[in-house]
Amino acid sequence: LSTVNKVSNVFEDVEFCVMTGMGKYSKSYLESRIAECGGSVVQNPGPETYCVIVGAENVRVKNIIASNKYDVVRAEWLLQCFQTKMLVPWQPAFMIHMSPDTKEHFAREYDCYGDSYTADTDVAQLKEVFSRMEDSKLVPLDVIAELEERYSWNSCQLSIFRGNTIYVDCYTVVNEPRTKIHGTTLSIRALELRFYGAKVVSHLEEGVSHVIVGEDHSRVKEIKALRRTFGKKFKIVSELWVKQSVEEGVPKDENQYLV
Amino acid sequence: MEKTLNRIHPVSHPEETYFLQVSWEKDLGTGFGIILSDGQCAWTGKVSEAEISREAADMEMNREKYVEELKKALIAGEESAGRYNFAISRDEENMECHFSYERNLKDGSFRLGSLKLQKVSSPAEVIKELIGYCLDCLGRLQAKNEHLQKENERLFSDWSDVEKRLEKCVEAKEELEADLYNRFILVLNEKKAKIRNLQKLLNEAKESAADA
Repeated sequence: LSTVNKVSNVFEDVEFCVMTGMGKYSKSYLESRIAECGGSVVQNPGPETYCVIVGAENVRVKNIIASNKYDVVRAEWLLQCFQTKMLVPWQPAFMIHMSPDTKEHFAREYDCYGDSYTADTDVAQLKEVFSRMEDSKLVPLDVIAELEERYSWNSCQLSIFRGNTIYVDCYTVVNEPRTKIHGTTLSIRALELRFYGAKVVSHLEEGVSHVIVGEDHSRVKEIKALRRTFGKKFKIVSELWVKQSVEEGVPKDENQYLV
Repeated sequence: MEKTLNRIHPVSHPEETYFLQVSWEKDLGTGFGIILSDGQCAWTGKVSEAEISREAADMEMNREKYVEELKKALIAGEESAGRYNFAISRDEENMECHFSYERNLKDGSFRLGSLKLQKVSSPAEVIKELIGYCLDCLGRLQAKNEHLQKENERLFSDWSDVEKRLEKCVEAKEELEADLYNRFILVLNEKKAKIRNLQKLLNEAKESAADA
């Protein structure tokens, strides 16, 4: 490495240990670029080593991680330093492993998902934070409805029916999902309701806010009889309510569509 | 040339069945031809445009309205059965046949038109033609029926395919939304935990300042 042309002093007096390269950036390429920027390179990390650079993970990398002594950083960070000709601050996304000291420092700056406590985020960063989170459980619809209400997102065009629990009269026998009538516009209405935020249920039970009926009114009598036994009354509306609400992008007044 | 073939029963002998074929060009109002047969004999006649106009005038009826009535009486078939009467009277030798059609009213009826039909010399030919016409119609209807049925099946399968796809889209949207909200909540709660922690530190600092 005696023949390097120094192009900057970004890494002046900084010692690196490059363990593996990545893709078209080989280990030796990364090492020579470090030297060009004034840094030094060792083959095994020691007390003076700033950090271990890793492109692809292997057994040696795993051992280094297990020792819990060094900061293990993705090669992407190095590439960003080369590109910007600056010592780019570490961010959670770059860290494969952190030494206890670094971990403590990060805990002050970032939450456990790597989102900064103080710096504003943007779409790309938030995406990155989300992508590093473990596959998460799904939030139930009523929690979403609450959240949207708290942050006034409930006027969103995709939340026309949010907070409503709806039974669609598309079964020949009420409350018998096995008797579903296929190929009717009611099944499309049911999908539209779900798309625009409603909770669509296959059983007409206490807690349902609306029942949607189509042209066939043969079960309305039975549904009304059932309603008399309920403490909380639901509204029976024609499918036109769904259609026109979706067309206009706002929930229309149900009372105009009562059956 | 358009044609229709209907079954009619004369008012005088309701048990007898006659076959009435009406043929016309474009519109009934421009004149039409009539073939009447009882299955053995056949008679034929024509009504010209001028005669239609004259009949309408005699009845002091709007010509268009009169033509509408004619259509209902002569070509509508089953739908207007019972609302129109047909009178058929034949002479001894079956040489001439008098045919008239009238609109049935609550109290009596009024005559829409009448004409003398001439006996056809070879009724077998006429009847053959009538049966031929029926078979042609049947064939056409069958082909159309098959075509429509296929079309219907195709539409139905397209519909259910699109419905399934739409359902997938809806499911994906619901899942994406629930997943993003979950991640959002986790990150948001981390920030709130930090704020709580800072509040705690602030209170502690205040307390120790007060103590000092």
